[in-house]
Amino acid sequence: MLLFLIAVGLSLIFGVLGVLNFAHGAFYMLGAYVAFQLVARGGVDFWLTLVLAPLVVGALGGIIEVAFLRRMYRRETVFQLLLTFALILILDDLVRIIWGSGPRMVPQPAPLGESIPIGGRFFPAYNLSVVALGPVVGLALWLALRSTHAGRIVRAAAQDREMASALGIDVPRVFTAVFALGTALAALGGVLAAPLRTLSPAMGDAIIIDSFIVAVVGGLGSFPGAFLGALLIGQVGAFGVVNPALAQLQIAFPFILMALILLVRPRGLFGG
Amino acid sequence: MAGTRLTRRRFVGLIGAAAGGSLLAACGPGLAPAGPAKPAGPPIKVGGMWITSGSLSTYGEFAKQGLDLAVEEINAAGGILGRLVEAKIENEGAADNAVRVARRYALEENVDFLIGLDSSGVAEAVAPTMKELRKILMITHAATPRVTGDLCNRYVFRMSVNVPQNSASGARIAATEIKAKRWTNIGPDYAFGRQSWDFFKKELRKLQPDVVFLDDQAQWPKLGNEDFTSFIAKLQQTQEADAVWSSTWGNDLVNLVRQGNQFGLFKSGKPYLFELGAAMEVLETLGDQMPTGFWVGTRYWWKVPDTETNRRFVDTYLKTYNRYPSYNAQNAYTGMKLLAAAAAKAGSVDTDKVIAALEDFEYEAPMGKIKIRKEDHQALAQGVWGKTASDAKLKFRVLEPVKVFKPEEITPPVPETGCKL
Repeated sequence: MLLFLIAVGLSLIFGVLGVLNFAHGAFYMLGAYVAFQLVARGGVDFWLTLVLAPLVVGALGGIIEVAFLRRMYRRETVFQLLLTFALILILDDLVRIIWGSGPRMVPQPAPLGESIPIGGRFFPAYNLSVVALGPVVGLALWLALRSTHAGRIVRAAAQDREMASALGIDVPRVFTAVFALGTALAALGGVLAAPLRTLSPAMGDAIIIDSFIVAVVGGLGSFPGAFLGALLIGQVGAFGVVNPALAQLQIAFPFILMALILLVRPRGLFGG
Repeated sequence: MAGTRLTRRRFVGLIGAAAGGSLLAACGPGLAPAGPAKPAGPPIKVGGMWITSGSLSTYGEFAKQGLDLAVEEINAAGGILGRLVEAKIENEGAADNAVRVARRYALEENVDFLIGLDSSGVAEAVAPTMKELRKILMITHAATPRVTGDLCNRYVFRMSVNVPQNSASGARIAATEIKAKRWTNIGPDYAFGRQSWDFFKKELRKLQPDVVFLDDQAQWPKLGNEDFTSFIAKLQQTQEADAVWSSTWGNDLVNLVRQGNQFGLFKSGKPYLFELGAAMEVLETLGDQMPTGFWVGTRYWWKVPDTETNRRFVDTYLKTYNRYPSYNAQNAYTGMKLLAAAAAKAGSVDTDKVIAALEDFEYEAPMGKIKIRKEDHQALAQGVWGKTASDAKLKFRVLEPVKVFKPEEITPPVPETGCKL
């Protein structure tokens, strides 16, 4: 479900802004480190952090959009890729300067340290809550885009920038808001991942590839696609691990799935 | 006007002299209290390569501290043959990058020695290049048997414990302490993980002929894997295996142990042998989340051996960096000191002369007495394993008891290495 949250942000930014945000993994990392700062060092409540960290990172995302990304929309895609790639390097080093390069850990929120038996096995309550939270966030986002006024404006701006601005919509501001929201989602993923994984400046690089696969498999720009893609990639990975005959190929499985889907449906499962 | 200019110039000159004087005064005693005031020649240059970026960069951080400490001590004692040592470090990165850095060190910066390397994959690419660069490379971490095996050449040395030595020590723990019948494996999917499991199997079969290895249950997460959930589920479902060998290391091991704790993996009582579980990089990070009572291996443990040399090294390191040295720190330190000692013995930093001095060289390091075997340039060093235990005074797990294996017991004989020098 972490992958879903990150892929949704990626998809949202691509769908509306048309930008392939390579730095998305770096915002995920930043979210995790902000959580480390607040929870492990500052003693802030984990649930409060779950709100605060995405706000902080989202604000940074907004600033970056205004300062840098905005200048790139009318240029070739290559420039956007270069810019977002540069952002990865800068954010990675920023994290290194502020928090050091050593691994960092965030403790699990206390009430969810327990394990819950399901089908004879024990599952940590925290992992289960993360699984539950994913669809809730996804559904909320989907409903907001579909049924609210702001959602309609975003969709209008995504469909036709010029027409939307002719109708009096402040398109640049919409784009800033969407980019901020996308990066905030990545940061939310980072906060949720922090008690599960070890924090290091390279943690964003690992997840960005998987998130891209998820987004591409589901169809770039599609929310239900990202959801299904995340489930598929998770299942395919686990299938490779559990099946002894295929364990050797387990690493290749997500890529094979992506290649197959691109061959059959180049726009992804839910791509328009 | 002329007067003011003169005054200003004199003023600036005075400031310069004063600053230079105080700088000399400040540095003088620190740099060379025992050595000659003037070096006997240009500095001796050393080019280091370790992982200094990405998720495994703590290894490079420790290595830098070890190297810096060695250089400081060598220079304080007058340098190598009266010449001061100047060391720099670059990130080894991927294999092609490391080969580029090695070339630049040797051809453009004209360093006297190369030192370092963390990754086995990288070492297998750099080692053959040394033949053409004609400089000594002292490997301090990368454990692949191949660089002192089929890829060996006269320029490449390793002062640290390699895969066969570490796996052979682990096999002895398996045979005497665990006594399980059926073993499986979880380790990173690259040269090191595969070699580790192969050598473990080979050694344990010799010691315990009725042992069964469940290769089809073995798991190979990629290096840098973060989510171990499905691997943990598989380990819990694999009922046939009585015990598990694991070469998972660095942050991967931290993730495996943490997530394993969350799923109750280590509560089943099934023994796990963590080949590199006693790395300080891992123990410091995990703290009390490292379960106690598990056998873990390392390439140096700061409490072993209990010698004057080791105590002095650990004390100095602790005072300088406020932490205990990891094996990577000790290895970088010893690698540098070993080069200096060999150059002193050779009376020169000439590559051929230092190679001759290093061959069959016996050296007393913090990690114990080591001997560089002439035939393959691999150090004969002792293997260290221990059981994780808590220590009231320290924030990380310690080893209690510790088991030490003699070099001759755990090092494959020269014909088995495949090295022909």
